[in-house]
Amino acid sequence: MLQYILRRTVVGLLMLLALTVLIFTLLRLTPGDPIDAYINPSVPMSAADLVALRTRLGLDQPLPVQYFAWLGAAVTGDFGYSIQRGGEPVLPLVLGRIGPTILLMFSGLAISVVVGIAAGILAAVRRNQFADLSLSTAAFVGISSPAFLTALLGLYVFAVVLRWVPAGGMLTPGAPFSVGDLLAHLILPAALLSIGHGALIMRYMRSSLLEVLSQEYVRTARAKGVREFWVIVKHAVRNALLPVITVIGSTIGIAIGGAIFIESVFDWPGMGLLMINAVVRRDYPVIMCATLLTGACVILVNLLTDIAYAAVDPRIKVA
Amino acid sequence: MHRRNFGRLLAAAAFAFASATAMVSTPVLAQEEKTIVGGFDVGPGGFPGNFNPLTATAGFTWLNTYFEPLVIYTSDLSKLDGALASEFTVSEDSLSYTFKLVDTKWHDGEPFTSVDVKFTLELAKNADSGSIFAARLADIASIETPDEHTAVVKLNKPNSAFLSVLSQVMMLPQHALSTIDIKEVAKSQWWSTKPVGTGPFKFAKYVSDQYVEMAAYDGYRGGKPKVNRLINRYFANAAAAVSALSAGEIQFTFAEPDDAKTFKGNDNFRIIEGDSYVVNYIGFNHKAGIWSDLRVRQAVIHAIDRNAIISSLFGGAAKLANCGYVAPRLVPNGLHDYAYDPQKAKELLEEAGWDDINGDKAIPWLTYYNTPQVANVMAAIQAMLAQVGINVVPRALDVPSYSGIVRSEKFEEFPLVYAGLQNGPNPASLNIGLNAAQIPPAGNNIMRVEMPQLTEALNTAMAETDPSKADPKWQQVCKEMNAELPWSPMWVASRYGVASSKLKDFFWTPAPAGGPFVSHPEKWDIAP
Repeated sequence: MLQYILRRTVVGLLMLLALTVLIFTLLRLTPGDPIDAYINPSVPMSAADLVALRTRLGLDQPLPVQYFAWLGAAVTGDFGYSIQRGGEPVLPLVLGRIGPTILLMFSGLAISVVVGIAAGILAAVRRNQFADLSLSTAAFVGISSPAFLTALLGLYVFAVVLRWVPAGGMLTPGAPFSVGDLLAHLILPAALLSIGHGALIMRYMRSSLLEVLSQEYVRTARAKGVREFWVIVKHAVRNALLPVITVIGSTIGIAIGGAIFIESVFDWPGMGLLMINAVVRRDYPVIMCATLLTGACVILVNLLTDIAYAAVDPRIKVA
Repeated sequence: MHRRNFGRLLAAAAFAFASATAMVSTPVLAQEEKTIVGGFDVGPGGFPGNFNPLTATAGFTWLNTYFEPLVIYTSDLSKLDGALASEFTVSEDSLSYTFKLVDTKWHDGEPFTSVDVKFTLELAKNADSGSIFAARLADIASIETPDEHTAVVKLNKPNSAFLSVLSQVMMLPQHALSTIDIKEVAKSQWWSTKPVGTGPFKFAKYVSDQYVEMAAYDGYRGGKPKVNRLINRYFANAAAAVSALSAGEIQFTFAEPDDAKTFKGNDNFRIIEGDSYVVNYIGFNHKAGIWSDLRVRQAVIHAIDRNAIISSLFGGAAKLANCGYVAPRLVPNGLHDYAYDPQKAKELLEEAGWDDINGDKAIPWLTYYNTPQVANVMAAIQAMLAQVGINVVPRALDVPSYSGIVRSEKFEEFPLVYAGLQNGPNPASLNIGLNAAQIPPAGNNIMRVEMPQLTEALNTAMAETDPSKADPKWQQVCKEMNAELPWSPMWVASRYGVASSKLKDFFWTPAPAGGPFVSHPEKWDIAP
């Protein structure tokens, strides 16, 4: 087992190394560099100043030299400085963004699970009635609405027109921290993030519950005089939840993508906003560190999953 | 429980959830303190996340609330005035600049002296500090400090742009920065944690990617600021800032023209309109091989109904340009107006043999503008050019991609561009984009314009250090541009800011790179 873990760890590290080579190469293949992003094309800088800036940032060096310089520093934990942020160190910058992204993602996921399951149950229980039809229609709209449209529409209606919630950011600038303030900023992006997944979960819950409700044991429970509430909660919902949980698990990946998009619309200071800004500005050190960290998380989760499988299922070869 | 009761239970839960959500109301800033929140780094004049004026290519509107240069443009950008220099004189040979300094203190209480001026200019002249002004200050031969309140800057050779460059060099405290190794200055955390300036506001806090907060500097020589705090909020794009403005969360932002229009007639807001100082042009790549004949270039400009575009797509908020300038003092009489005349365009193309030069082959047309307005403008021009037989295909890129391509030698990728170039307040800014000596990699003449007479006109104007004699020389540049059409000049569009009507004595002008310009932040006030 230990050998298996070591082998997977080595493979994981090699994958990370390959990822850094790939991202580094792809970044350099795209036209433009941080200097091009640094200057406004309408207000050009002199050529000599451009050359000096390029030299200072090491961009005049051949690519392999730049890569190994970066790698050499990165293995010691030095991910350099952000080019576009006046020398802000990259590692604390990137680490500081994980929390807000997780908060947004899991809040969105929590809302989608709670609302999706509740709506799914209601739709199944009220099959073909007004509640079912309205909820099913809402779910179809939710699934088919592009995220950018719902995000912008939600922002306009709830923040600009109704002014129920702030139009962006994570905390009110200059105000002391308070949970209420955080929640006020969180509720709209999290709710909008939950729409797609919530609708999907609702559909799965509805069909799963309908299937379970037609099972023999449910009929038996009813025949035995068990009250409808307990039939649904104790007998049906628990069983119907199993396939839904699988769906919830598989949508976490999609939630990460959605969170990145929502972050950019709502100026939510998470990894998504950081990455988008870094790519637009060709801030190589930030992109490299953020990619490496995200890649490491994915590889680590996969490794842990495989180890868990190997631990519980002896049929999986560990040698 | 009956099915119906179960449904009620769920409905009640949903209601409770919705109520809880509604109860989380938006907190407002404490009202005991006057605070102005704005998107001061939104748009082309901003540079969010940069706090070091030595590396700033823009963002001077905000930097100027806490740092100050020696000289500064007046609010209408018509001339340079003293800022930290109470007065300045230039010697007859234009080689010696004497600055008399104001009597003031840094935010930490230390006095501002000529030692700081010498330290700052030497730091800004040294590329090791990461300064982007190094080349532009290379003509400085020495800086003398005869007394605490006098600094004398001597140049190796006359430089007509020197004072204009100096207006963006913010003075820095020698006592705070001299202990940092010069190569570490650009990476120093000092800029974003405890910078010390002389301006009306003191740096208080930076929350990464969210906002920068300033506190009033009670000892400001221009008087104690009227508001206690100034907050610069960051936005991913101009539309997000406009949403925050509409929602009442901020009191000012730059706005794209279409967004600005939505505030028209709304008493809660004031629209600030001003010259962008950027001339938009259709750039002919002179190495592409299809624009060599002047008649082809003339055909392009004759084929475009610029007045119609200005009135319909810009809502009249742009000035027609027939050279690189629109300021009346720089535009001579008797220019060719290149009126809309598609028939003439067709004739010119036929005379030039356009069918053999290119015919209806698609011509990629690059731009770095990504606004809906520019997309509409380019679509309209595409249709107009198609009517005379020129088939252009617009392609919008992000700024780094665009700049990377146009600096390359892959001329087939950018035969035509839609771009802009700063044309003021210092008219010399056009030199960098049109002088034959500025062709990349030497400079920023990205369209590879090689026109001897135009280059000569630019060199003559650049050499004139006496402002009273300079205008006729820049007019000659305008004449050459108008005759030879190195680009097809289009217009200079207006730029917009939108301010809440709660703001009092607030001044902002859409200056290139954000200025700086005299804006008196200490006088800005806000109604309850």
